Amino acid sequence: MVNLWPDYPWGGPATIAFGAYSRHGGTRGTLVAPAQGQAVELDNIWKRFPGVIANAGASLRVKHGSVHAVLGENGAGKTTLMNVLAGVYRPDEGTLKLHGEDQSFAAPADAIAAGVGMVHQEFRLVPTFSVTENVVLGAAPRVLNRSALEDQVAALAERFGLATDPRREVWQLSMGERQRVEILKALWRDARVLILDEPTAVLTPVEAEELGRITAAMAADGRSIIFISHKLDEVTAFCDEATVLRGGETVAGNLAVSDLDAGRLGELMVGEATAVSQRRVRTTQPGASALDVTELRVVDLHGRHIVDGVSLSIASGEVLGIAGIAGNGQRPLADALAGLIPSTGSVQSGIHDLSSASPNERHRRGLSYVPEDRIGVGLAPRLSVADNAIMRTYRTDAQGLLIDQDKSVAHAKDLVERFNVKIADLHSPIAGLSGGNLQRLLVGREVDGNPTVLIAAQPTRGLDVQGVAAIQRVLLEQAEAGVAILLISEDLDELLALSDRLAVMHEGKIVAEFDPDKTTRGDVGVAMTGAVHAEGASA
Amino acid sequence: MRNLRLVRRETPLAGGQFRAVLVGVVIALLVGVILLLATGNNPVSTYLRMLDGAFGSPRAWSNTLTRAVPLGLAGLAVAVAGSMGLWNIGAEGQIIAGAIGAAWVARLAPDLAGPLLIPLMLLGAVLGGAVLALGPALARARLGVSEIITTLMLNEVAIRIVRYLVNGPWKDPEGNNFPIAPEIPDQAKLPGLFERANIGVLIAAVVVGLFGWLVSRSAWGYELRIAGSSERTAEYVGISLRTKILTVLVMSGMFAGLAGGIELTGSASRLVEGVAGGWGFAGIIVAALALMRPSGVAAVAVAFGAVQIGGLSIQTQGVPAAIADILQALILFGALAAAVFGNYKLVRGEPATTLDTAGGAA
Repeated sequence: MVNLWPDYPWGGPATIAFGAYSRHGGTRGTLVAPAQGQAVELDNIWKRFPGVIANAGASLRVKHGSVHAVLGENGAGKTTLMNVLAGVYRPDEGTLKLHGEDQSFAAPADAIAAGVGMVHQEFRLVPTFSVTENVVLGAAPRVLNRSALEDQVAALAERFGLATDPRREVWQLSMGERQRVEILKALWRDARVLILDEPTAVLTPVEAEELGRITAAMAADGRSIIFISHKLDEVTAFCDEATVLRGGETVAGNLAVSDLDAGRLGELMVGEATAVSQRRVRTTQPGASALDVTELRVVDLHGRHIVDGVSLSIASGEVLGIAGIAGNGQRPLADALAGLIPSTGSVQSGIHDLSSASPNERHRRGLSYVPEDRIGVGLAPRLSVADNAIMRTYRTDAQGLLIDQDKSVAHAKDLVERFNVKIADLHSPIAGLSGGNLQRLLVGREVDGNPTVLIAAQPTRGLDVQGVAAIQRVLLEQAEAGVAILLISEDLDELLALSDRLAVMHEGKIVAEFDPDKTTRGDVGVAMTGAVHAEGASA
Repeated sequence: MRNLRLVRRETPLAGGQFRAVLVGVVIALLVGVILLLATGNNPVSTYLRMLDGAFGSPRAWSNTLTRAVPLGLAGLAVAVAGSMGLWNIGAEGQIIAGAIGAAWVARLAPDLAGPLLIPLMLLGAVLGGAVLALGPALARARLGVSEIITTLMLNEVAIRIVRYLVNGPWKDPEGNNFPIAPEIPDQAKLPGLFERANIGVLIAAVVVGLFGWLVSRSAWGYELRIAGSSERTAEYVGISLRTKILTVLVMSGMFAGLAGGIELTGSASRLVEGVAGGWGFAGIIVAALALMRPSGVAAVAVAFGAVQIGGLSIQTQGVPAAIADILQALILFGALAAAVFGNYKLVRGEPATTLDTAGGAA
């Protein structure tokens, strides 16, 4: 067995090996030797919150050295169960065993000490600290030698293919890069059981495949990986076994992934067959050009061109998809088009020159924006549903100085009904809503004012099947209604299904453009790595 | 006790902080019983006397309301800034600046008729508070300098300035060498309302009520709350953060300045070093108990004033001043400490040792 593990800088880890398993055959490893014992045994876990039973007798058994998928719709209790395992929540009932020994965690620190690491969906990083500082925080040696630590973190990162610069500060990193830092944190603490909560939600297909290699390598090293996902293809590619939760209960445990197919899995997860993914069917031809961008450039604080001369145009009724690996300029492109960050170059929408317009003026001219960061940019978490619903209309609807309360409530009600947002109370803060409901509210609000251009950044990321379908349906309806849509996504299937044209961004530039009907995932994936500079450089 | 620790509640306590604060006050009063018994006082009659001194008669009400005026305006100053996530720790200094502004107007035009002079003095007070807040506001809006530090330090500057004035150029020649300024003209004093209360109570009530309402109901207040929830969301909606920060901090200074003006034209009658009386700092407590909501400031200020006035009144009954102060402190401490339990709970367990614990419990 190859020792993938570096020596620990502060005196060596407990080098426990749970048997020498080996894998064969590329990223899709198969367990050769049968696992002897269970790394994780969660039995009959109950966890109640006011008004909600998140776990109702859920169970989970994960074998040593395996990659185990936990599947389920949003709200199935996956995250709660994982938080129990990670010591964040104490279960109301139920038992937890690690490697055959009973455990009771009072705090996440206990779980970490017992070798459980968790990478949460929302990252827990200190933005102003460097990658190294975040990785070693709370688990640093007594004597700090910054450059030595940086080298060790870099070595650890490289070993597992987690490409990252240990000296950069976290606020500068893309979501995909931040996730790698989170994984590094767990690896640094020698996690024997690593929970990845919807890890691929923030990854491109290429990065997801890398993650598959990483999990395989960690499993080969005797670690157990719990992989939470919505996506069947990832589960069959990366995992050995799967457990399916529904309504807080385990409906199927330790299924061999080879026995899974989309129909059966969908049935287990939602109790019915899942809908076929939607595909754009044109009924109208694209109209006149609605958005013309020429030589757009954004320079970051370090003087790097993070958007480097992007030119594109979108006709009304057309969907231009933007593919790319996280951190290749998609986010600043969207922010610059919405006027949130300074940029040079020209932005025209019809007769209006928006090159130096404020965010407000751009919106008045019909440019709507669904930002990648829903709750930190698109919505105000501490404000109510009603307050969040009127962000785009309060200026015109105000009666003199005052917000028209009746109108604002009516507007919020209208959005909530039309876009099927499930809420208890219009006046309670939105912070408690699920991701799908937040996004329905945000997308609904942004398309409500009949925009001419809609910029949608990662609009379906992290949503469950119904949420994805609902948002995609809204996007397609808007395109049919003549809205020019710039769709930035890391879900290649979504891009191929919804786009009329598909452009690929790499290092701030548009490096390729494809006709979605005449290309494959593979071709696009190759372009995303920057390997091909083909088919013209402008979209 | 060693393994007790605070953990954030997964959902805030139903009924909000109000219930928690009430429980905290009751616990504080019970602790006070021990204290009173130990010092040979009758707890029942002492507490009844406190209640009576704060609310028992028109005169008691007038004392309580008069005390609530600077507390409420200072609380409003802190809470308006707080709604946007800004911390104005400088209300104390801004109250002093307001009193100086008002006194200055009275020095410049001592012969003006009251109906003209009083509004001008209050205007001077508002401008005085604004001037002191302007520096921190500009530094925060333009350069991102923490307003907490700058407003806090300007308190010291304001105290030095008033000390210089009452010991130097503005010193009352007939003041028996005390560090006091001359009394303001009679027509510059605020007209009475009832008993010991003057119309400052009405002015403060209107200002606190109006701005509490504006923050929760107006488009301006709505933008403030968006910025307080997330600055990046405010930028996304097209709100100019710079302008907002500047106006809100200056406005915050104006409220505190107005408190100084009312204090000077109302109760104090002359500029002295202690004109701010610690109300600027007490305003932070008022705002915190109002959960940084300007609409809650008025009620908290009256309750806070009642505790202070009640504490004073038991001293006339023979309870030592030190004990009265401890009782007041206990009640405030109980209320503030208990407010925490709206969002946190005590659990038994190993103490949190890593950052991951704090992050994980959030």
